[in-house]
Amino acid sequence: MQPYLISLLIFIPLLAAFLGLFLPATSTTSFRTLALTANVLQVIVLVVMLSHFHPGGLQLVELKPWITLNMGSWGVLKASYFVGVDGLSLPLVALAVFVLLVATVSSWKITENVKGYFILLLILNGAIIGSFTALDFLLFYLFFEFMLLPMFFLIAIWGGPRREYASIKFFLYTLLGSVLILIVLIALYVSVQEPSGSAPLVHSFNLLHMADASNFIPHALLDPHHISKLGPLSFRAWAFLLLVIGFGIKLPMVPLHTWLPDAHVEAPTPISVILAALLLKIGGYGLARIAFPIFPEAAIDLGWFVGLLGVISIIYGGLNAMASKDLKRLIAYSSVSHMGFVLLGLSSLTAEGTAGAVYQMFSHGLISAMLFLLAGVLSDRTANRTIAHYSGLATKMPTYTAFVLIAFFASLGLPGFSGFIAEVMIFLGAFKSSSVGGPLHESLAIIATSGLVIGAAYYLWTMQRMFFGVFNLKGQMSPEQLPDLNRREYIMLVPLAVAVLVFGIFPQPVLSIIDPYAQHFAEFVLRSGKSITP
Amino acid sequence: MTPLDTLQAHSSFFVICLGGALALPLLSFLLCFYVSEKYSWATSVLAPFLMMASTVCAAVVLYQAWNHPAFTWQRVWFSIADHTFTAGIHVNNASALMLFVVTGVSFLVHVYSIGYMAGDTALRRYFAMLGFFTFSMLGIVVSDNLLLIFVFWELVGFSSYMLIGHWNESPAAAEASKRAFIINRVGDAGFLIGLMLVWTHGHTFNIEALRALPLDPAWMTAASLCIFCGVVGKSAQFPLFTWLPDAMEGPTPVSALIHAATMVTAGVFLLGRAHFLFTPAALNVVAITGAITALLGAFAALSQHDIKKVLAYSTMSQLGLMVAAMGAGAPEAALLHLFTHAFFKACLFLSAGSIIHALHQAQHQSHVNFDVQDIRLLGGLRKKLPFTFIMFVVSGSALAGLPLFSGFLSKDAILAALVHWSNTGDAWHWVVLLVVALVSFVTVLYTFRLVWTIFNGEEKSTASLVVSEPPVVMRAPMAVLALASVWIWFSWNPFSFSGWIYNHIGAAKDFHGGFVSMASAAWVLLALAVAYASRGRKLDSRLLAQGFYVDLFSRKAIEQPTLQLADLTHRADKKWIDGFLHATAYAQVIVANLTGWFDRAIVDGFVDGAAGLAKSIGSFTRSFQGGKIQLYIFWAAFAIIIFIIWTLL
Amino acid sequence: MAPVHHFLYLGAFLFSTGLIVIITKRNTIMVLLGLELMLNASNLNLVAFNSLHPGSLQGQMFALFVIVVAVCEAAVGLAIVLRVYRQYRTSVPDHVNELNQ
Repeated sequence: MQPYLISLLIFIPLLAAFLGLFLPATSTTSFRTLALTANVLQVIVLVVMLSHFHPGGLQLVELKPWITLNMGSWGVLKASYFVGVDGLSLPLVALAVFVLLVATVSSWKITENVKGYFILLLILNGAIIGSFTALDFLLFYLFFEFMLLPMFFLIAIWGGPRREYASIKFFLYTLLGSVLILIVLIALYVSVQEPSGSAPLVHSFNLLHMADASNFIPHALLDPHHISKLGPLSFRAWAFLLLVIGFGIKLPMVPLHTWLPDAHVEAPTPISVILAALLLKIGGYGLARIAFPIFPEAAIDLGWFVGLLGVISIIYGGLNAMASKDLKRLIAYSSVSHMGFVLLGLSSLTAEGTAGAVYQMFSHGLISAMLFLLAGVLSDRTANRTIAHYSGLATKMPTYTAFVLIAFFASLGLPGFSGFIAEVMIFLGAFKSSSVGGPLHESLAIIATSGLVIGAAYYLWTMQRMFFGVFNLKGQMSPEQLPDLNRREYIMLVPLAVAVLVFGIFPQPVLSIIDPYAQHFAEFVLRSGKSITP
Repeated sequence: MTPLDTLQAHSSFFVICLGGALALPLLSFLLCFYVSEKYSWATSVLAPFLMMASTVCAAVVLYQAWNHPAFTWQRVWFSIADHTFTAGIHVNNASALMLFVVTGVSFLVHVYSIGYMAGDTALRRYFAMLGFFTFSMLGIVVSDNLLLIFVFWELVGFSSYMLIGHWNESPAAAEASKRAFIINRVGDAGFLIGLMLVWTHGHTFNIEALRALPLDPAWMTAASLCIFCGVVGKSAQFPLFTWLPDAMEGPTPVSALIHAATMVTAGVFLLGRAHFLFTPAALNVVAITGAITALLGAFAALSQHDIKKVLAYSTMSQLGLMVAAMGAGAPEAALLHLFTHAFFKACLFLSAGSIIHALHQAQHQSHVNFDVQDIRLLGGLRKKLPFTFIMFVVSGSALAGLPLFSGFLSKDAILAALVHWSNTGDAWHWVVLLVVALVSFVTVLYTFRLVWTIFNGEEKSTASLVVSEPPVVMRAPMAVLALASVWIWFSWNPFSFSGWIYNHIGAAKDFHGGFVSMASAAWVLLALAVAYASRGRKLDSRLLAQGFYVDLFSRKAIEQPTLQLADLTHRADKKWIDGFLHATAYAQVIVANLTGWFDRAIVDGFVDGAAGLAKSIGSFTRSFQGGKIQLYIFWAAFAIIIFIIWTLL
Repeated sequence: MAPVHHFLYLGAFLFSTGLIVIITKRNTIMVLLGLELMLNASNLNLVAFNSLHPGSLQGQMFALFVIVVAVCEAAVGLAIVLRVYRQYRTSVPDHVNELNQ
């Protein structure tokens, strides 16, 4: 059983999607049951996985030959089905399973074309888990692209009024990112060989091999020992930048973020939840898994740039959130701001910063899921999310207000919630970076603290405008439209709130999983990056 | 000593009491939410009861910990790489005393709230947040490391936000709570930078461990100034003080507990706790900031019309004194003032609340409406509210620093410390001393102006009202606090501050000199005389009433530009980034159209042209095959003729 | 005896007339008549050239043969014209264009 756990996790939803094809389209409940069953099975598998996992390196690895093509004098193309989890991916996989379960429950509201919806959702599910566990670049890329189509249709069919614009924007943006990643994928493919060294030459997509400088073919394009330059930067630095842009689009990183607010505003609630909680994380995951370890010397040279982009994202996203008039747009921009912390933490190349970045991804997944569910509560009731149209909701919907309060304060980094732990560690790491040879200057961390103030400002201002004051509605809404939370919403929100709180007070269980990875990451990138730099 | 050893040095009873003192407020918070809506009145029994238990525990802790080696207890909170972040408790004299003061005042305020908040619709939330506030405040007091202090630091800010905005249907309260949190966040951002500095250079947050580190003035100055930013925010120092007067929108017991007795003094407490981090250069900044704040607060208090705002500015001014004393290197004096201030200022606020409550009740019965907090409308209340009058005078005297009251002692301690400091340091130290002396003078003026305006003279708007003293649950806490405002609790000798607290709260230096005491007493009495002489005068100054326009300045110079910047980024997103995208999209469409045209006109045209040529040739040759026999014959003949002509020629 | 080229001129004239009649006349009967004219022009030429070789009879014989063939041709041609006229109610060849449609 143990060796197939990850495959189970990936293929349960795909199998369920396949089964769904044979169910009659009219039976709404059967699809809900199917999706829910798949999710519950995944939760069970995850629990087994967690029980088998011991903090440390890569575990639960599955390595099967997948594509082996002999191309004569061009060597052998070799891609494998190579999956595994470590301190970086396990928290994200756990988050994914949890959030997807919540998203399925919140999909109860979907009534049109249920069959298509749930099948797409299940495919998306499998692709997300696959992306987080794949250790072969080609396999990763496959899953990465595989997420794109279901997402596109889920926004374009079940979305809001401007869904076509939003979905196409999302698609084109992400596709651009994918193309950049593909370029690096190919460049790496031609530059890396299997470590055996003997003839015939075996080109491999194995990410672990790519991260080892000794596996590069001498004088190949990306060979770290014979760096060739293109303009002011080496090819390797360009490749790193392409990856940063490619994953930065997904993250999203200012100025490549404008697909996010539109996609979020138009996407149906469960899709917003998945988008914010999981898809964004793949950007950060890709940077930590691929860009930084494979191009460590570029990470050191250009880390300041990545960190700067992170700080810009933090502040720019926060300011934009402040000026947003739509609640979902505000939350979307707050995501931009929070994902900036991930960039800052990763580029610090310290154990604290890295662990903080991974923890931030984990925690932001929970918090943003909660925020988007809460925004969905409002748009389900009135289809109106304009902040200025509400006031004094606290008297009308006290429970809802309480949850919004929790989510807002969790998101603005109040201690006791998981976001605080992450942000503090990122700050500590970013500030410490230069003193341990990392690329970030102290001033970046100092400037980033203004993000805390901006975060408090926009959330509390929203709180004041929408929830405090005298109860009043504008824009053709009636108070009868706004009952307090129902039981289903309650069931979705309580676990998230509890998780945010528990992981804020007792971070150690998750941190002990992340810790070995973070240490290794920071130490490895710094060491091998320094050894490459002439 | 390892943690285990210290554990054994203290009895398990002590540990249970300490745990109880900390946990009971948290329990109160949880239980208050658990009580169902229908029985929300039960919270007003439950919460004060739990707080009383907590106070008793704290008293035991104080008794047992006093003059004993510090109790420490540590656990790993979380760890990254080889760095551990610990959560720990450190109870020494100062924190044990603070523990008792916080729980005690909190308990009294809980009891008072039973009467004051009776009938409030959100009673559960109110008591829950009071409980949570007390818990977080105790967290600050007993934490042994800076990170944990920061955690609770933010949590008291959160509970302050919730309590200021308790009546959140009022837009002013909602606005005030928001501003309070955000301004505090500005200070906290500075605090966080301080934490980063400490972490980078000291590799630990533990205060005792930091104390043992070799000192490097460069980063310590930077770190301590950054930490001081947090203090500036939390303790309402210049220039981040504007939230404190605004915070008076909250219920009055909350103002008494949070914005007078405990939370705002957390900054001073932290300065005392981390005093060793402060280099002389940093201390100078601290002293000057404190002096400026004290001065601004005192003068602003002179021309306020709202009874609570007078007290708020006075709190700010007193906090400034404490901070200045900290800056002058006299944490004991500052802490002594912190403790005395906690009691008398809480009592003043509760008395003000008692007036507000009584007048509200009276208004309610007779359907008259005016702003009961506006002292211009009040007067002559001594006869109608005799008990409140006595309480107000007692605590007011303590605030003014009249001899025989606690305020005299602590202010004397501060003055003595400053005199010593001025004698040893630069010339400008004298300016600080003079400022502090001026502040203590002005304090007497505004305090007694308040007393005279409210309680003496003619009744104004209240003349027709039937006013009755508030219930016992409100009077009893006031009485207790007033009792705690006399000298006897702090030092046996009413003219010497070196009592049991001052001497054991830290490494006390004995600055006590009879001369300072006498001069200070004379100075205060002089001020009292001036206050009496000018009791009818009004000081109408917009500058002072508006708190030196700092609020206006921050709105104009910081908030508005920030909002404009936000709008700018929003437009940048829409216009430039999206605009760029749309432009590229349009450019692509245009290019696509061009290539489409090229395809149709040139490429297709070429193919079509070839086909057309074939077709026209075909139709030309086809025209010969018209089925017209005679034409065939004609062409045949024609061709033969041509052929003949050609062969012949 | 008239020189032979006078006969040739006459033959050429007749041939041209026949050709023009064939090309320009719309009626099939007239076309057949033009054909007869052309055949006779060639007969005239045959006979005229035969006079240049006294003692030989090939020219005359060939002319006789042409006359026979022309008679046969006229008989078949007229019969076809008659059938066509029955079928299409016209004797104009351009109107008989069923294959062309």
